[in-house]
Amino acid sequence: MKAPLLFSQVLNGLATGMLYALMGIGLSIITGVLNIPNFAHGALFALGAYFLYTVIQLVGNFWLALLLAPLGVGLLGVVIEYGGIRPLYKAGHDYQLLLTFGLSLIITEGIIIVWSPVGMSQLPPPILRGGIDLGITFYPKYRLFVMVAAALLVFGAWLFLEKTRYGAIMRAGIEDKEMVALLGIDIHRLFTAAFALGCVLAGVAGALTAPIRGLNPWMGVDMLGIAFVVVALAGLGNLLGSIVAGLLVGLAQSLVALVWPEASVAVIFAVMAAVLLVRPQGLFGIR
Amino acid sequence: MSELTRRDVLKLGGAAAAAGLGFPAVLRAQTKELPVLGLWSFTGAFSDVGPVLDRGMKMALDERGMKIQGRTIKYITRDDETKAGSATRRAEEAIDADGVKYIIGPWSSGVALAVSEVAKRKKTFHYFSGGTEDISGARCHKYSFQWAASPYTAAKTVVDTFMQANPKAKRWHLLVADYAFGWSVEKYIKEVGKGHGIEFVGADRHPLGEREFSNYVTKAAANKPDVVAMINFGLDAVTGAREIFNFGLTPKVPLILTWSSGVEELVQLNPEIRENMWVGSNFYYTADTPVAREFVKSYQAKFGGPPGYAPAAAYGMTRMMLHAMDKAKSTEVPDVIKACEGLEVEDLVGKMRVDPKTHQTLRPYFFMRCKKKDAMKHPMDFADIIATGSTPLPAEYAACKDIGSL
Amino acid sequence: MTASAKAWLAILAAVVLLPVFVRHAIATEIWIFAIFGLGLNLLMGYTGLLSFGQATFFGSAAYVAGYLLKFYGINVFLALGLGIVVGAISAAAVGYLCVQRSGLYFIMLTFALNQMFYFTAYQWTTVTGGEDGMPGIPRPSVLGLDIHRPLAYYAAVALLFILSLWIMKRIVESPLGKILQAIRENELRAEALGYNVPRMKLAAFVVGGAFSGLAGVLYAMLFGIVPLESIGFVFSGNVVFATLIGGSGSLYGPVIGSFVFIWLSESVSSMWARWPLLLGVAFVIVVLFFRGGVVEAWARFWAWRAAHRAPTVAGADAPR
Repeated sequence: MKAPLLFSQVLNGLATGMLYALMGIGLSIITGVLNIPNFAHGALFALGAYFLYTVIQLVGNFWLALLLAPLGVGLLGVVIEYGGIRPLYKAGHDYQLLLTFGLSLIITEGIIIVWSPVGMSQLPPPILRGGIDLGITFYPKYRLFVMVAAALLVFGAWLFLEKTRYGAIMRAGIEDKEMVALLGIDIHRLFTAAFALGCVLAGVAGALTAPIRGLNPWMGVDMLGIAFVVVALAGLGNLLGSIVAGLLVGLAQSLVALVWPEASVAVIFAVMAAVLLVRPQGLFGIR
Repeated sequence: MSELTRRDVLKLGGAAAAAGLGFPAVLRAQTKELPVLGLWSFTGAFSDVGPVLDRGMKMALDERGMKIQGRTIKYITRDDETKAGSATRRAEEAIDADGVKYIIGPWSSGVALAVSEVAKRKKTFHYFSGGTEDISGARCHKYSFQWAASPYTAAKTVVDTFMQANPKAKRWHLLVADYAFGWSVEKYIKEVGKGHGIEFVGADRHPLGEREFSNYVTKAAANKPDVVAMINFGLDAVTGAREIFNFGLTPKVPLILTWSSGVEELVQLNPEIRENMWVGSNFYYTADTPVAREFVKSYQAKFGGPPGYAPAAAYGMTRMMLHAMDKAKSTEVPDVIKACEGLEVEDLVGKMRVDPKTHQTLRPYFFMRCKKKDAMKHPMDFADIIATGSTPLPAEYAACKDIGSL
Repeated sequence: MTASAKAWLAILAAVVLLPVFVRHAIATEIWIFAIFGLGLNLLMGYTGLLSFGQATFFGSAAYVAGYLLKFYGINVFLALGLGIVVGAISAAAVGYLCVQRSGLYFIMLTFALNQMFYFTAYQWTTVTGGEDGMPGIPRPSVLGLDIHRPLAYYAAVALLFILSLWIMKRIVESPLGKILQAIRENELRAEALGYNVPRMKLAAFVVGGAFSGLAGVLYAMLFGIVPLESIGFVFSGNVVFATLIGGSGSLYGPVIGSFVFIWLSESVSSMWARWPLLLGVAFVIVVLFFRGGVVEAWARFWAWRAAHRAPTVAGADAPR
């Protein structure tokens, strides 16, 4: 195998891996803090992409769109949490699942109604178009940007959760909700904030993906499964684990695609199954 | 008097059928109506084409005043959800409960194979237009007809025309969707390419529904080709074209879309991505035949924009069915099938003839060159047709050995 | 008449009357889906395990049986038996991985494993046909009786449904059924009482998988095709929602849910292409207001009626 090809593949794997990590962290926070299965995570990813597209159509500025789109998704998250999830805290997973799945249907069909079922393209901003000669291989500038941006966001999320007071509260919420409530912290606000944060992360992942994969209403469907794999591999609620798992999954996909393209999607789930067979708590989970 | 009552009952049955509860065929007595089914996608992956396919078929039926051979045409549509299972289900229901004997569609080739089985089993006339050789090939039978050109015709038109315009482009890299149709087109391109002295520096197969094309693009670039030819369609083609552009391969290196639906795919890209794209298609709205010109004019007047491949195909297939009924002077399926075999007309894309041995429609295939942004006269002015080709599939490749009997 | 006898009467009536009002193919689909739901509900309603990947067993059985029916012309009883076995085996494999986890993990795991089977079926085009599905599944005769006509097949499926319902009733009333419900109520306690909880859960999986497998084969023969969707997460989701809507707390919940779900999706989908939106809204409404599903709503209605009748009755009986 030629070195340039392998190198590009590794870069591809890292870029997609970073996006998977973003999705994984977001889902991990939601499942960790709220303890609900969020089957709408993929749809929220898609919504981030569509919001980006619309803001660019309206304002013409990619950077502004990249800021506003995830915030828009986060805002929607607040509404969803307050109106839909809060009443179901005690209802059991069955109903939470029904709710989030219903929401994913509503969001996807909503996208079709508002934007149209036809796929769309979104070019990267002008300074990120074209490629760079990296010596070993030629690589698109935008993909490099996504790698860096996603890495920064992932790092930022980690910083927030590890080093700030709010982050500490969230982590405590993952560990022990009752204790957090007993400590006088408004558990409802914590849940809303956690859900919104998860939505923002999904939204920014979607917005970053739009210029690479284009937009179509079902772009979140595959992402949902992958997000679940990342979280399961990492161990529920384990944020650092989600980062590592996301990168692992991205790289695995990329490298398998080189030798066995047909299996490149199924292999992720097979890896997850294999890991969980040996370590049911995931790579980094505690049990 | 009794006829009125029957018709009322039929209307009731129709309404109830629409509500999901259908009175079984028992109550649907003889009728002068001829139910015709348009099996289109209104939901699912191809849900954007359902409404426009419907338009095309309706236009063809309206031209005849919804009447043929003295019978009133009852036009029914069903959503196949772009899924083989749903298509099979809905087609069977339409046949059993609504008395459908004629099916046009569906859009997706995989779904079409399932519907073709239903047509064979239920002895229903079926016309399809899309990317599979099997309907007029390995899975041929008396009841299904193929409107799209043979992939051989497509390959020959594409390669011959492109080489004429770019005689020095001898190094070709192929990116092929990994399924039977992709392999066939690949085989034919390589065959025809031999005659031009083309060197195929690489040929990669990607799984259907692939979203991550970066791997294939880097492989393609590594081979330093003079041209990249893609054999895929729909979202795969769009995503592939986008990635090839993102990696900077195009517009330096020309990109060929061998089997494209034309407008439906091109509209999802940007002028920058389309620059130096060459597109093969079964129809493009600047086609210069009397029927096409009329069709495009009416379509534009009615709906505001030019028709893509989908409405044109629906229109074209419906017209072929109606021509066959004219020729047969009957609406009985066996008569219409016999009339359709060997049917020769000047229709939507030019001279069209149905091969009786394979039920393949022999007709021209279009090859276009996309325009640069500043050459576009309006937002849908994607390309110009630079050639057509109609070389039929040579007999030695024909996979339909025995089309069977009714 | 006992409640149980009333329920059976209602079901028999439904079986007999349905084909008069509903297209035979849809009516058949309703009973197939009901069998599917029964299998799921053993896990979800009775054991408290939300299996969100039940289509794995349904679809695997459909593909295996379908393949053998199509290419080897096996007889119908062998096909059904195989479907049950394949459903059970695939459920054992998935269950083995999943019963070690609980709660969210469990749900996500069943979902992810379902995806794995789905993508395998999607990519293994030479065997499964990939996206195109596996068409051309024959419907062989049963003991010399031709079941090609829609009504004939309906009768066969309805019979199998009644049999399945009866068997499931016996299962949930058996010691196994009681243990599963005990696990649902309090897993630790069940364990303390000496039951091998993981093994019991696995048993639930296997039985549920067997039912789902049977449904899968019947589905393949219904339309003569094994579509890719039959192993996808949408199918998995549909059976969960149908069962929740019907009411997962009862034996008959999945049956009612199957009715409601299929009738709704068939009728609404032919009227509006965007019907999944309504489906999503329906889910949200059910979840926020009608959590026990139709069965609970029905029970609540009768309780309300009884409460509002009591004074009159008491008045009539009151001594003058």
